[in-house]
Amino acid sequence: MTDQPRAVESSPDAIIVDRGYRKYEGLRTGPRGTMLAIVKDGFRRVTGLRRKARRKVLPWFLIILALTTMVILVGIHWATSNTPADLANLPKNGEYFDIISVIALLFSALAIPELLVPDRSQGTLNVYFSRPLTVDRYLAAKALAIVTVLMTFYLVPQFLFHLGLAAVSNEGFLSYLGGNLDVLWKVPTVALVYVAVHGAVASTIAAFLPRVGAAAGVFLGSMLIFNLIAAFFQGATDFPGARYASLFAFEQHPRVVRDWIFGIDTVDYLPTRAGFEPGVSLAMAALLVLIAAIAVRWQYRRSV
Amino acid sequence: MIGGSPGASLILDEGLIREDDSMTDTDTDGATTVATMTEPLIRTTNLTQDYGSVLALDGLDIEIPPGITGLVGANGAGKTTLLKIVLGLLTPTLGTVSVLGSLVSENPIGIRERIGYMPEDRCLPLDQTAADFVGYAAELAGIPSSEARRRSSETLYLVGLHDERFRYIGDFSTGMQQRVKLAQAIVHDPELVLLDEPASGLDPKGREQMLDLITRFGEFGINVVISSHILEDIEATCEWVVMLDGGKLIRSAPLEPPAEGDEVSVEVFGDPGPLIAALAKLGVQATVEGPIVRVTSDEGQAFECVRDALAISESSVRRLGVSLSSLEDLFLEEAGG
Repeated sequence: MTDQPRAVESSPDAIIVDRGYRKYEGLRTGPRGTMLAIVKDGFRRVTGLRRKARRKVLPWFLIILALTTMVILVGIHWATSNTPADLANLPKNGEYFDIISVIALLFSALAIPELLVPDRSQGTLNVYFSRPLTVDRYLAAKALAIVTVLMTFYLVPQFLFHLGLAAVSNEGFLSYLGGNLDVLWKVPTVALVYVAVHGAVASTIAAFLPRVGAAAGVFLGSMLIFNLIAAFFQGATDFPGARYASLFAFEQHPRVVRDWIFGIDTVDYLPTRAGFEPGVSLAMAALLVLIAAIAVRWQYRRSV
Repeated sequence: MIGGSPGASLILDEGLIREDDSMTDTDTDGATTVATMTEPLIRTTNLTQDYGSVLALDGLDIEIPPGITGLVGANGAGKTTLLKIVLGLLTPTLGTVSVLGSLVSENPIGIRERIGYMPEDRCLPLDQTAADFVGYAAELAGIPSSEARRRSSETLYLVGLHDERFRYIGDFSTGMQQRVKLAQAIVHDPELVLLDEPASGLDPKGREQMLDLITRFGEFGINVVISSHILEDIEATCEWVVMLDGGKLIRSAPLEPPAEGDEVSVEVFGDPGPLIAALAKLGVQATVEGPIVRVTSDEGQAFECVRDALAISESSVRRLGVSLSSLEDLFLEEAGG
């Protein structure tokens, strides 16, 4: 009976057909399909797609803000394209990280708690882990979702910015692109370091707090407070090992790496001032990811 | 009150075991178990779960046959722990569990592909539509995306939410949310669904509809284990019952249709003393439980005796009916023993 429609009620005019229950004989996608489903759901969740309108407001405001700043910068480049070179020393891809990373920090504060907290606070983990899904696979899929979402947030405006710069360049579109091929690896690399640091700190906080808003607030606050604490201890020169406090200025490590990779000399960041090489900042990013992975995994394995 | 009205009750008859497929046994702990000759759906051997301060399961040996099975017990009896072990979410301290012919410890992921689970606790994303959530639950079980959407729609139709499938779950009533929970449990075509308190929080009509749905699962070839402390629900839906008390098995046996005993229950307005005295004069045994007088007769004349005693004592009847032995009676008896 399970595959056959069944008439359950009839009248001279109409018939209601109970379609019963259809067995599924097709292929199953396996762990890869399960993880892909989590990534897709994460993307929809963060951007508010298939959610109520008010859930779309903040993410799309930040997305539009990121794109608007890009358009404005391209416009300025176009407007100054015929001015002397010293006046036209405007931000390019490397400097654009100063703008977009601030917007991305806010986006991370919104997106990462949204990816992690509701599954716990709404109890849906009870359903998810009754499926062929392990804690490790679930967390790997969530990490992939975080990286995908945030990298998209960084790379799409950067990519469009690059095309915009090429379009308004006096060199010509293709010549500009050909002459700036290094951007193709530099931008994704720097973006990945930003995503690693922001993602690690935000994920750790989101794994332990029960509310999206609280996790977002604590994340933004911690990025600010750790900078202040690092600056304070570094200023106290009598304190033994004070220079190591600069490593707690988490928010500055991606900037140090960015300056290093793009060869930019912007400001004197705390780790640089304390005498640390850019490689140390890169190592700190990796260490933060490792600590986050251990902490988040411990929390989820404990609670499931 | 746990349990049902007498009229709605079933009895568990230890003697009515089909000879062709099962046999009754009483183990050293006094638990009644009925071993099935067919391959059991779930088999536990010396299953023990020790949380340190609490022994949640104490050496359970159970065989649950295919069909609809009730898992009953008071809060803290070990029902949810047992379900979590069956799902492979908890590793037992001792013992083994096999589900659908496979050892859970060897292949928990493979087994979970074949199982659906409806948790008792809240487990729904309130900001998602029912169609999206059920479809996502199907995808997590390995159903490809397009097929998951189709099955989501069909399953929501089956549970009576087809018209509401694009509404947000947060806007649903408790009954509708329970149906969404049920839909996600079966959307991926499991061979076995574990339902943890499926009728929890439902009004009588919603409860009846939910139990009707669950009963239909048998038609779809889906085996069901219902964990509940509402014994009426188990009586209404199940073919087999497993009773737990304090982590111990006290019974694993089939539920049989109700059989009327020759016992009449009567409640009168005012003092039942004159009625009892009249019954004694007629030579009939009567027991008093609160306001209820239970009358039994070896000669099958209980009803006539009560009628005569009522006339003699001039008592006014508040309630009168044939007593049936309910699952609640049996549970209290077994647990108490």
